[in-house]
Amino acid sequence: MDSNETNTDTAGEKVRGRLWRVLFPAVAAVGALAALVTGGLRTRPAPKLTPTPAQPLPPPGSPAAAGTSRLLPMAPASAPPARHFDRQYSQTAVLGGARSPDQFRQSLRGISTGAGDQICVLGDDEIRVFDAGLRRLHAWPAPAHATCLTVGPDGRIYVGGPGRVDVFDDTGKRVAGFAAGEAGKPADVTAVKVFGTDVLVADANARLIRRHGLDGTPRGLVGNTSKTGGFMLPNGSLDIAIDSAGVVYATDTGRHQVTSWGLDGSARGKFGKFGMSEPGDFVGCCNPVNLALTPDGKIVTGEKMVARVKVYDPNGTLLALIGPEHFDPACVHIHLAVDSKGRILAADPVRRHVMVFSTNTPAVQGTRG
Amino acid sequence: MTEKSTRRRFIEGSCRLLGLVTLGGAAGVLTERTSANAVYQVDPNKCKSCDLCRTSCVLSLSAVKAVNDFEKCGYCMLCPAYMDVTSKPDEKGIPMGKVCPQDALKRRVVGRVDPDDPNNNYYEYIVDETRCDGCGKCVKACLPPAGNGSLRLEIRYNRCVECNECAIRIVCPDNAIVRLPVPGVAPPSTHTS
Amino acid sequence: MIAGVSRGLESVPARTRYLCLILVLVAAFASSIVSAQYQKKPPDFGGSYSFPSPTHPEPRTAWIRTLDVSLLAAGLGIGAWLILKKRSRNGLLLLNIGAIAYFGFYRKGCICPIGAIQNVTLALVDSHYMISLGVIAFFFLPLVAALLVGRVFCGGVCPLGAVQDIVLLRPIKVPETLDRALAWLRYVYLGLALWFAGWGLHLAIGSWKLDIGRRFLICEWDPFIGIFRVSGPFHMLAIGAAFIIGGMFVGRPYCRWLCPYGGLLSILSRVSWKNVVITPDKELDCGLCANSCPYGAIHQLRADRASCLSCARCYASCPREFEHHGRQAAAAPLIQVQRR
Repeated sequence: MDSNETNTDTAGEKVRGRLWRVLFPAVAAVGALAALVTGGLRTRPAPKLTPTPAQPLPPPGSPAAAGTSRLLPMAPASAPPARHFDRQYSQTAVLGGARSPDQFRQSLRGISTGAGDQICVLGDDEIRVFDAGLRRLHAWPAPAHATCLTVGPDGRIYVGGPGRVDVFDDTGKRVAGFAAGEAGKPADVTAVKVFGTDVLVADANARLIRRHGLDGTPRGLVGNTSKTGGFMLPNGSLDIAIDSAGVVYATDTGRHQVTSWGLDGSARGKFGKFGMSEPGDFVGCCNPVNLALTPDGKIVTGEKMVARVKVYDPNGTLLALIGPEHFDPACVHIHLAVDSKGRILAADPVRRHVMVFSTNTPAVQGTRG
Repeated sequence: MTEKSTRRRFIEGSCRLLGLVTLGGAAGVLTERTSANAVYQVDPNKCKSCDLCRTSCVLSLSAVKAVNDFEKCGYCMLCPAYMDVTSKPDEKGIPMGKVCPQDALKRRVVGRVDPDDPNNNYYEYIVDETRCDGCGKCVKACLPPAGNGSLRLEIRYNRCVECNECAIRIVCPDNAIVRLPVPGVAPPSTHTS
Repeated sequence: MIAGVSRGLESVPARTRYLCLILVLVAAFASSIVSAQYQKKPPDFGGSYSFPSPTHPEPRTAWIRTLDVSLLAAGLGIGAWLILKKRSRNGLLLLNIGAIAYFGFYRKGCICPIGAIQNVTLALVDSHYMISLGVIAFFFLPLVAALLVGRVFCGGVCPLGAVQDIVLLRPIKVPETLDRALAWLRYVYLGLALWFAGWGLHLAIGSWKLDIGRRFLICEWDPFIGIFRVSGPFHMLAIGAAFIIGGMFVGRPYCRWLCPYGGLLSILSRVSWKNVVITPDKELDCGLCANSCPYGAIHQLRADRASCLSCARCYASCPREFEHHGRQAAAAPLIQVQRR
């Protein structure tokens, strides 16, 4: 008998008491069990959409899927295409590698060639000048946060940094400098080239190329004629080159194109398209990231995601391919320069060395841009 | 039915006092070491986007979400985290497959718009947190060199129930779930493009 | 106001002040290093686009943790009053339901004093572990209450105990020897919990290795957390269901035989200043209290402080209480017989 009941309770009170003492715990237990069952029934949301790669197309020459790199697993690597390229390049030298006395220990940011095939390299917060035989001539500290450099036709070295360009002579003395960009909108300088008395500054912030005089006076803009007001630069880097005739080439990475312009800003042409399978196409979201010109007027491009260097002629025909086996798959740039003999100097910023590629195809000895 | 003897009461009283002193002392030692409330957060520099965040959270829809750092995002049309760039392209050459299995990564055209050429526009990418389950596929796809590394996995505190011991932390193979003082802002990601 | 602030600062111990100064200097140095790295700005997209400000939902603010501690203290106080002074089973039931609602469903059962054992252990073992004042308060308040007024935490506030208490339908009497033997499990569990929380398990026997890092066993194996979160892995939901169904027929099995915090409380409760007491001079020898105690805590008509969970059922069934509180004197004839 329940301890709280006595014989003096009325029948009604007994029933009510019993009901209360049984119903309340039973309801509580049922509630707790219901919570547990609900918890068990709340399954993970089923995938509502599955990706639709009907036939993933293997890009030829791509690196093998993700061993050390963290890239999306690409389709299995296939051998480089058996197709014959008009030009073949082979690696002939390495500058600044791990065992060399000129090792780059921290960074490698830019490269350019000058008259007499001198090589200027921006790395380790220094500007180092080498001769054509890869022997170091001079070195001096670079300005803070320098991002790019070029050797002008006057032999002076133009170094670009955030919002400014500094000019050094070949002994390392700073001789000039100016602020790049508009008032209040400093340029994000990612490349600098010189033509005559014009200094062309690639401004990744405003997404166009600025022409400045040697004293910094703005002389015009190149590349702002598209409907979106400039180049499409998803990774914030714009690379430019100028040939001996004054034609400006620029990487429009978001549109996967190499575009050409006159110095007055008029659009002249473009080539290139996105594609993961054809070697002549540019892969990934934003390529090509780097650009250089050969003495015979061919265009050298550097790409990331599939780190490779290609040579095109100005109407977009692929002439040569230096495959990803030479470069670190984690490269986000491959800085390029070409000397007067047509040797391609490709700077790998991850492995921090410059690879020198020579072609056995005789290059036309033109004046270099 | 005797009342407690004075000796018994003395012993009890001493034990009580000893207990209070011990508790007070321990509390004092701990108070000296006390610090702010701590919460769990994902360290983006250790995280390898392994999919365990999706399955290990005690909640059925994980409190871990992908978050886009707009200052780092490239706003690419061909976002490698949005579309599977290796999938079959349509007639315009744009890949048709999507990376996110939940279709949680949304985009819209921004900036100065070119209405004629979709390839010529910038897109803002935002994660729909009601669909994202923290699997990390987009985060992996956005890593350099393919992308800018702007997407990262983050524990969202409007969903996290702040368990005493994070169930994801137990299984994370990279020890990427760390305890941070409130407000639990994750360390900046060092992925650079 | 400045005088007040400086007076306040003076009260901060010198060591803390120097530490703060060092921290400020380190932060300034670190921030200058970070700002020395050039931050590339995103490009200008044109048009009228402005970057959305990224949302970072804030975790629960500090004042909510203070609220939790205040409610815990209030619950302990109200519980002590209801159990020892008012001796009201109904009031205690309301307190239990309130605790289940707030500490259980609203706070999702976390953080609780039982789990706080692990945080405290880890903080004592590892001086780098971040423990907050709220967690410390959660651990110590019920223990201090146990020293003063007995296991009012178990009786009034603990949501795990309250869940088991309200589903109790028909308690089976567990033989005393079995009850005592099973009660030792609490200390085994306590030892395991402390070991895993502080150090983890690292064994190597020959070539066989076992490496388990620090884990919070109590949190992982809490049977009732699945109810409060309404989700969980299947095995925990099943264990929870087993404890609920078992709890309908055996009084508070987790509390009596598994709860490590209950083990600590039961030791402290033995020497508490005030506790549930069946006073010898007033008792009628009727045994109604012993019948009503579902936890076997009344031995020879005396409350066994170690096992008493302060549920106040004995008071609710005592005829003297009816007389004392003027309730419907259902047992009045019993008392009148005695007096006569």
